Amino acid sequence: MRRMTRLEAAVTAGLLIAALIFFMFPVVWMFLTSFKSEAEYFHYPPVFIPKDFDFRNYFNAMAFPPDGRGGLQGLRDSLIIATATTLVAVLIGSLAAYSLSRFKTGGDNFSFWILSTRMFPPVAAALPLFLIFKQIRLLDTHLALIIANTIFNLPFVIWLMKGFFDELPGELEEAALIDGCSQVGAFVRVALPLVTPGLVATSLFSFIFAWNEFMFALLLTRRNVRTLTIIVPSLVGGHEILWGEIAAIGTIAIIPGILLSILLQRYLVRGLTLGAVKG
Amino acid sequence: MRDRVAIPQGGPAGYPGEARRSASGRSRRRSVAILFVLPAALTLLAITVFPLIYELRLVFMSWELTTNAPARFVGLQNLIRVLSQDGRFWTSMRVTAILMIGGVAIQLSIGTGLALLLNRLGSRRTLLVSLFLIPVMIAPVVAGFQFRMIYHDQFGPLNYVIELLTFGQWGGFAWIADPRVALFSILMTDVWQWTPFLMLIVLAGLQSVPVELYEAAEVDGASPWQTFWRVTVPLLLPVIIIGILIRAMDSFKLFDIIYLVTGGGPGNVTETISFYTYLQGFKFFSLGYTAAMAFIQLIIITLIAQFFLRFQRQQRGEV
Repeated sequence: MRRMTRLEAAVTAGLLIAALIFFMFPVVWMFLTSFKSEAEYFHYPPVFIPKDFDFRNYFNAMAFPPDGRGGLQGLRDSLIIATATTLVAVLIGSLAAYSLSRFKTGGDNFSFWILSTRMFPPVAAALPLFLIFKQIRLLDTHLALIIANTIFNLPFVIWLMKGFFDELPGELEEAALIDGCSQVGAFVRVALPLVTPGLVATSLFSFIFAWNEFMFALLLTRRNVRTLTIIVPSLVGGHEILWGEIAAIGTIAIIPGILLSILLQRYLVRGLTLGAVKG
Repeated sequence: MRDRVAIPQGGPAGYPGEARRSASGRSRRRSVAILFVLPAALTLLAITVFPLIYELRLVFMSWELTTNAPARFVGLQNLIRVLSQDGRFWTSMRVTAILMIGGVAIQLSIGTGLALLLNRLGSRRTLLVSLFLIPVMIAPVVAGFQFRMIYHDQFGPLNYVIELLTFGQWGGFAWIADPRVALFSILMTDVWQWTPFLMLIVLAGLQSVPVELYEAAEVDGASPWQTFWRVTVPLLLPVIIIGILIRAMDSFKLFDIIYLVTGGGPGNVTETISFYTYLQGFKFFSLGYTAAMAFIQLIIITLIAQFFLRFQRQQRGEV
């Protein structure tokens, strides 16, 4: 392509910096707020840089109630739910993906049906799940949220992994079969190691989707299970708005997302478009 | 698929018992194929199909948890009431449509602009792209909280910056409480969070445009503007359509940001269909009515999803 003139380069840089400020500002503002004292965040004109960076808000936010805001419990519950959902979805999802890719099990319509369950409006799934879980006394448990999140993560894993298996040439597994390897052995020892990068990327996506999920957590839990995404709004709705402490929880809650947007760059397009755009 | 089973000639085909093995191998392949799919298929059956059937039954029932009256069969009454007598339903549909169309249009234009700029940077853009994508990867609830602070009428930085830029002429906007701007505030939060997504996929599309085409256009004396509309846009169209459809489906389900930033208010000017359904089901406890609304949304989403799937299948067919 044509080289940029100096003017063009300057305009490009200027626009990109403006955009960067726009997209980074809310995150940076929250990060800064997490270190501010109450006198600083309820101040006009707004204080941009807090006077001293101490971790007071973080300690209060993470400590257990009644003194703290229960952030540690939130961290634990979010971790349990996101990890378990991912394990389940990746385990049974990649098996199914392999079968759909190699044996075309059920044909195209079956694959597309699986994908279409991913598009479900969560609010439509929440009502029957709530009633069923209530009946079998599963409300307010980790398991309830693991099941609910699997509704969306399982089709996601199947579809993404199917794409990775589709790209793998079948000859290697055929060679293994001829050498006396069993069908299952060909999957475990030949296909699986070759799609490991894809498997890792898929798992991380699945993790972050479950980690960020809010509606199911809001409707299917009460007191025993409180994910980070539940603690943030519950504190926002409280009568005294503890911006510093909420910001501390919010900052902790977005760390996985920030890490993944850097780690997963190669797979971002694919993961976010359900494999529709390869990138 | 059967041709895959064929064993290449010249290999160890001469082994004794080879014929027997490939015959039994075929049925073993079948059973492995089914065995592998079974756990996922059963799980999906249990957690999506079964609840949906359960919900479908509710569509035809009147079941008010607040009155303690037992559920009773009412036929199509719920659906008729939603579609013909519930003004609030249609208002929420309108809000959803405004956010969907406005959001996707703004996100696509800014996203495309940014992608074109980033594309000029070459390999230097990697870190920049990661930074731009942070909004996409963080929980919408947290994004909502960030904007709640930014929009705060007294202590928020947004009003302060506006006041600085206009030398004190403007300021003190009630971004959340003023019914004239609340919907706009929601829209901007959504734009903030999802513009990078469209930027990302347009960027991916741009990278697949062969450089020769640009060179040819330049040789033919095309202006940059002509090149953009005649060369870039047609080639990007498939990717853009996928992006629009994904965003359309997601913004149809918009809930988290509403819950955090405005709670549907003031009044119900920012109440999306998802939020209204949530209120009916989990605040007013009209279960049959909620199920009817949920099914209407399910039908709409299924229609958009069909576009998405057909389009994808068509694209694959061409390759």
